[in-house]
Amino acid sequence: MFLLMTILVVFTGCKKEFSSFVNNPNGDTQVPPSLILRSILTDMYSASNDRSYAPFSQAERECQFTCSNYTYYDNNLFWTGSATWDYSTLYNVVAMESQAARVAGTTQTPYHALGKFFRAWFYVDMTMKVGDIPVSQALKGTGNITPKYDAQKQVFLTSLNLLDSANTQLAGFIANGFNEFSGDIYHTEGMGNLSPRQALIQWQKIVNTFRLRVLMDLSVKSGDADLNVPAQFANIYNNPAKYPLMTGLSDNLQYVYNNTTNYYPNSPSNFGNDALRYNMGATYLNTLSSLNDIRAEIVAEPARGLGLADTAYGSFKGAPSGEDLGTMSSQIQTGVISLIGRHRYWETYTGEPCMIVSYPEMCFNIAEAMNRGWVSGSAEQWYINGIKASQSFYGVVDGANTVTFQAPGGSLGTDISYTKHFNFANYYAQPAVKYSSTAATALTQIQTQKYLAFFRNSGLQAYFEWRRTGVPTMSTGVGISVSTNIPLRFQYPLAEKSDNTANYTASVTSQFGSAGDDIFQTLWLLKP
Amino acid sequence: MNQKQTKLMSLILGLLLLPFFSMAQVGRYSGRVVSTVDQSTVPGASVTVKGTKRGTLTNADGGFEITANKGDVLVVSGVGITTIEATLGEEKNITIQVAANNRLLNEVVVTALGVRKEVKRIGYSIQEVKGSDLLKAREPNPLNALAGKVSGLNVGVTQELLGQPSVILRGDAVTLYVVDGIPINSDTYNISPDDIETYTVLKGPAASALYGSAGLNGAIMITTKHGKKGTKPFTVELNSSFQVDKGFIAIAKVQNEYGGGDNDAYAFGDGNGGGVNDADYDVWGPRLDGRLLPQYDGAVSATGQTYTTTFKDGNGNIYGGASSPVTFVGNIAPTPWVARGVNNLNGFIQAGLLSTNNINISTGNDNSNLRISVSNQFQQGIVPNTTINTLNFNVNGGINIGKKLKVEGAINYNRQFTPNIPDVQYGPNSIIYDVDIWTGADWNIDQVRNYWQPGKIGTQSLFVEYKRYQNPWFMSYEWLRGHYKNDLQAHASAQYQISNVFDAEIRSSISTYNLLRTEKEPWSAHPYGDEHNHGNYREDHRDLFDNYTDALLKFHGDILHSGFNISGLVGGTLRTFHYTSTFESTNQLIVPSVYNFQNSLLPVRAFNYLANMLVLSGYYSVDLSYKKFFNIQTTGRIEKSSALQNQTYFYPSVSATTVLSDYLDFGNAISYLKLRGSFADVRSSGTIATIGAAPAGNFGSVVGYGQDYQSNYGGPNFAASNPAPTQPVYNTFNTYSNAQGAQIPTTAIDPALKPADRKNTEFGLDARFLKNRLGISLTYFNNNDGPKINGNQISEASGLTAIVSNALITKTNGGEISLTGTPVSSKKGLNWDVLVNVGTYKTIYKSIPPSANGTYNTYYHQGDRVDGAYASKEFHSPTGQQVYDASGFPIFYAKSQYLGNTDPDFSWGINNKFTYKGFLLSFQFDGQVGGKIRDYVAQKLYQGGRGAGTASGIIGQARRYESDNFANPSYKGAYNSDGTPTLQAGGVQITNGVKPTFDPSTGLITNLSALQFGPAKTATPFIQDFVESLYADPEHTIVSRTYAKLREVVIGYNIPKENLKGLPFGSVNISLVGRNLLYFFNKNFKDLDIDQYPGRTLPSASTGTGITTTSGLQTPTIRSYGINLNITF
Repeated sequence: MFLLMTILVVFTGCKKEFSSFVNNPNGDTQVPPSLILRSILTDMYSASNDRSYAPFSQAERECQFTCSNYTYYDNNLFWTGSATWDYSTLYNVVAMESQAARVAGTTQTPYHALGKFFRAWFYVDMTMKVGDIPVSQALKGTGNITPKYDAQKQVFLTSLNLLDSANTQLAGFIANGFNEFSGDIYHTEGMGNLSPRQALIQWQKIVNTFRLRVLMDLSVKSGDADLNVPAQFANIYNNPAKYPLMTGLSDNLQYVYNNTTNYYPNSPSNFGNDALRYNMGATYLNTLSSLNDIRAEIVAEPARGLGLADTAYGSFKGAPSGEDLGTMSSQIQTGVISLIGRHRYWETYTGEPCMIVSYPEMCFNIAEAMNRGWVSGSAEQWYINGIKASQSFYGVVDGANTVTFQAPGGSLGTDISYTKHFNFANYYAQPAVKYSSTAATALTQIQTQKYLAFFRNSGLQAYFEWRRTGVPTMSTGVGISVSTNIPLRFQYPLAEKSDNTANYTASVTSQFGSAGDDIFQTLWLLKP
Repeated sequence: MNQKQTKLMSLILGLLLLPFFSMAQVGRYSGRVVSTVDQSTVPGASVTVKGTKRGTLTNADGGFEITANKGDVLVVSGVGITTIEATLGEEKNITIQVAANNRLLNEVVVTALGVRKEVKRIGYSIQEVKGSDLLKAREPNPLNALAGKVSGLNVGVTQELLGQPSVILRGDAVTLYVVDGIPINSDTYNISPDDIETYTVLKGPAASALYGSAGLNGAIMITTKHGKKGTKPFTVELNSSFQVDKGFIAIAKVQNEYGGGDNDAYAFGDGNGGGVNDADYDVWGPRLDGRLLPQYDGAVSATGQTYTTTFKDGNGNIYGGASSPVTFVGNIAPTPWVARGVNNLNGFIQAGLLSTNNINISTGNDNSNLRISVSNQFQQGIVPNTTINTLNFNVNGGINIGKKLKVEGAINYNRQFTPNIPDVQYGPNSIIYDVDIWTGADWNIDQVRNYWQPGKIGTQSLFVEYKRYQNPWFMSYEWLRGHYKNDLQAHASAQYQISNVFDAEIRSSISTYNLLRTEKEPWSAHPYGDEHNHGNYREDHRDLFDNYTDALLKFHGDILHSGFNISGLVGGTLRTFHYTSTFESTNQLIVPSVYNFQNSLLPVRAFNYLANMLVLSGYYSVDLSYKKFFNIQTTGRIEKSSALQNQTYFYPSVSATTVLSDYLDFGNAISYLKLRGSFADVRSSGTIATIGAAPAGNFGSVVGYGQDYQSNYGGPNFAASNPAPTQPVYNTFNTYSNAQGAQIPTTAIDPALKPADRKNTEFGLDARFLKNRLGISLTYFNNNDGPKINGNQISEASGLTAIVSNALITKTNGGEISLTGTPVSSKKGLNWDVLVNVGTYKTIYKSIPPSANGTYNTYYHQGDRVDGAYASKEFHSPTGQQVYDASGFPIFYAKSQYLGNTDPDFSWGINNKFTYKGFLLSFQFDGQVGGKIRDYVAQKLYQGGRGAGTASGIIGQARRYESDNFANPSYKGAYNSDGTPTLQAGGVQITNGVKPTFDPSTGLITNLSALQFGPAKTATPFIQDFVESLYADPEHTIVSRTYAKLREVVIGYNIPKENLKGLPFGSVNISLVGRNLLYFFNKNFKDLDIDQYPGRTLPSASTGTGITTTSGLQTPTIRSYGINLNITF
């Protein structure tokens, strides 16, 4: 009986202790929304996927700005498989909103306004990669584990509405002074140190500037009555009071590196590993040097094996991304290919800020809208604004510029500098640069300059622009794909095929018919 | 447990006990049967009253009770017993001595909860190994010595200091170690082999079901030595071993013809990218032919003189043409480029030592026993300045207080301590990585013995390169990893004999450890992820406390003279578990060589972890036997665990056995035949076996390299216990500028989650033939695992990536065979015993989660083996040739393809033991057959250009051609004289310009019929690129695990007693021993000691699967030789 009593006592008496042992004591079930905001903003720049906005990522090589020449580390092959999706980050957006509502007692908070922006941002990011994606039934957690796919058009409609709504809500907070808001690593802390209100003013510009990008992404669908792309674009451009836009580089949404915890991906720490193994891509650098653009000398090393002067534009030659790696690595050995600029990118831990949504891009988007007749105004002026903005990002001034390279035979930090004169008027006067009176040529010029402004920033946007416009001419060959073609989309994440089979199959069939989930299929938004 | 369940349980217990209250009898005799040889008890002997049908069997302690009258004659008989008769007198409590054959007597084994039981009554598979068999040819880790000795048990022996062997039973990791009936937390080093009487391996859950979920994968039960009543007042025993490690049986074979660098070019600038391929290079540099090159130890001109090294390009030109040669200009005088480091690894590695000493004293009499034992083990690694010391104190004893109360206790303290053990995990923190794989023979180990640069002591080490690789001496003497662990296990118990039928027992045990691990990473060390060259200091503290308190009631007796005998126990356990850990790291050191946290440049990073667990259980075990015909055992355990949301579950088992030879006459041929069968249904839940420094991935995010030491844990992992998704626990981490960020977990937990389930069915047969000269034991088992607790992947568009719920069933079938034989047993004293063990298992997916719609984890379907390995695969033409692209690189299918299964087909061991008078010779071969593994060492040796295979055969031919012809104007790559590409010869290229297209789903070629193939004509310009690309593909380094080892040899001699006359010794034994003497494996892959990889990476007991196809780096495996001395006084 002793035994029975022991058991009895033990089993019933410990109820309280039992319950307290069930929960994980190593974390919190409630956090301030600012903590979640920080992680979302970090994801925006560099989610744990292989195509982050961070420089020196695969995206940079797929946009053909740079190349790998070292098979052991990397190659320049395009993807053959799946995209990574951002729903986990979006689930954090949902969590941030609910935590903000818990703290504030209302759903009218800046976190909710930014939540709308983030939704639009990631929906667009995903749909640009794969096509249709779940939106209307997404993010319901266990409430719906097999969400239906929304057609790409619907994804864009939803996203554009979210951006409009985010703008309105932000305007309200800015006007009425409600701005309980922190955790914004880009503005209120770390990189910006702005007041919460100033931060929201910046976010409003970012929201509208991004919306111009999304509308331009849809240029092929400009005739679609539901989307009404040209009118939306014009409405924003023509109502700066309601839709404030970026006015300069200081409005950029950009990631700024520091010396202590957030290093630029190229730095003295990895110089020995990477500096020779990655080189400049021809698609980018050869365009710059053919335009006698001083940016070439700021971002790259001269290819001294070519035997020209260090400051001769001819010394700035990238490798075609489609070239096979064997040839490319032998060219590196013989010094006939430009390497990534030592002075700007390797000598410090801070490199340059990584732009995510930028003023130069906006200028080119407006120029393009004017070129297409969506908005009235001087396309050429915005084209010039864009070029100048980008050049000023690289510190280019009219007159004497200093360009710095690693000295021949020198090690990192042993530099040689040259004074190089640059005159924008002369640069602009070149026929290839001067805004053409032929609309189609001018459009190509806008696209070309936009591509040049995307160097090492904005993630895959340069690739998306190529896909939309065919500019610039991308290099093809065995180096980029066994089929030597550039894929036009990503496959869906593998898990969708097994875990959301019916919706996946229905969506793939409706989009691509019998071709299936194939990387060479054309997305809806690119079908005229 | 709610009230209803409590009542129910009381009722069950009451009913179980009911039959016994009517059994008290008058005129009963009780007694014990003991062996005349050593006074050990004889269980399972038949005791009958002569001339009647009344009879019983002795229990596990040799005790019996029987109703009889004075003057009756008791007949004691049984297998291996010389039948004896004893006449009953006045004395009601008698001891009967029988002469018994030792081997059969020893067939009493320890079963769950420490209950000793006769083998013939056991209905499940167990196998015992004598502790004394493992004492002579020592392994640093006692479990290593079990390799090959038990069928179905695969011990992944690791040669690394403090490396924990993977102990795998029937394909699953054993996590339950039980010492004298008490579960302990074991890292397998905290067991002192000198104190162990026997190891008993409980192979299936039926055997270990009494331990509840912990016993899911079987258990290793250890019975320690106790003091015994003997002829002398006390016994002193001394056991001493000394072994030296020398001679490699598995080591990377390297080439010494080409030095470091890339693409045939190298010049040292600053070893950090300032020269030509002088940092993070491969060993594809220039041929070591005496050419003059600037090198790391070249003289630097004091006068500022510079030296120009010119390189030729593939067209024979000086880089950039004659007008503007691209050359390397440096201030280091070029020196001859020769192979001055042919023996770098050998020159660095030293002989290892293993020294063990044990002294113990034991005593016993009728009322008490005591044993005190002290052990020390010292191991010196083959890597300089690495050691591990283990101290072990073991004390156990028992006292009988009166006739009814017996009190026992034991305490075992174990301390492991070392100021430095090496880290072999792939990366610059590994000496093998630095010396054997990624640097060439162009530097010399002795020349870098003084490992600081002159004038930079403490701040900058000296080596051939400064970006990636590290000086091995510097690593051994400056980069120190300390390990200090105290393990304490203790238990105390009191047994009270309530009546002849009932014994009550209360016992309590603790198993606790504290651990401190330190790492001093010096300035100028630059491992992966920590490449600032400013060092770090880290401390990892862990504390575990685990307490079991049990109350048991044991009973045994006949049921009303019916021939039925019943015995068993009921009990309850309260388990209380606490674990805390902290992990701190500096974030770069301000001042070099000052290893404290105040010296951190950036804020210290610190993590803490806490886990508590409460488990309540009640259990019973009942054995019912009928005369000599059968024995049925049933056990049940009810368990409530806080690790699984307080749910309560029942774990039943039943086993039955019958010894046919006890009641059927098989003549002389079959002396013993037993059939057995068992079934168990065990659940597991919410706990993990081991834990790292900082859970939630913080170790990796902070350290970025090396091994996260896993200590034994057994506590909750909270993956299945959080009341998510309503209250998810946020993960926090550092975002920009160290500011805290938080993320919501994207895994939800099914609120209806139940523990994982394993149903085990087992059948077996044990037989002996030819007067026990030949014995066989066969077992077939079937584990039906599931529904498991499985993280079912769901559409990430839901926001969640997985829902943890009950799904996924796997099925494992397998079997074990043990053969024992005595081929020779001569009257002159020559004896030859053989033991053969074979074990096999195979696991398939019986059902996959419904949410996976037929395809689980990308590759697997219902019915597929779980250990199928998938990886990238090269495209072969329909006629079987490898297909190269236009530039000479192999083309791969777009998706991973099946490459084979990773589990071995079977594993085996053969022991031979010859004895002749005082001499003993024993040796053991063991190994595995079948199963695939990817040899990562071989892969890296090829890719890095250091492997011997890169300078021999066809690759060597191409390499030499490249080296000789690189500067020739006509050089375009490595071609044969007939114009065919050297390395691509035999392969094909697509000749009709059609590009292959790939199936988006399978990754296979869809337009195969449209492709035309012709002989490959193009070589890559550099063979480095080609070899790196080719060997990145696992197809070329995947190898069958089939291997055999001559694991141990013992030659022993017992000095005859007559020679010891006049000396104080009771016995003296001297043995010469050897371990790891021969290794038979695919000769192309003998850089890998397959021992460490006994099977696929194990799926955890309760969650899904994870298979790894790839080996890691290893310290080369050595042979060891030694001497053992055993003396008793």
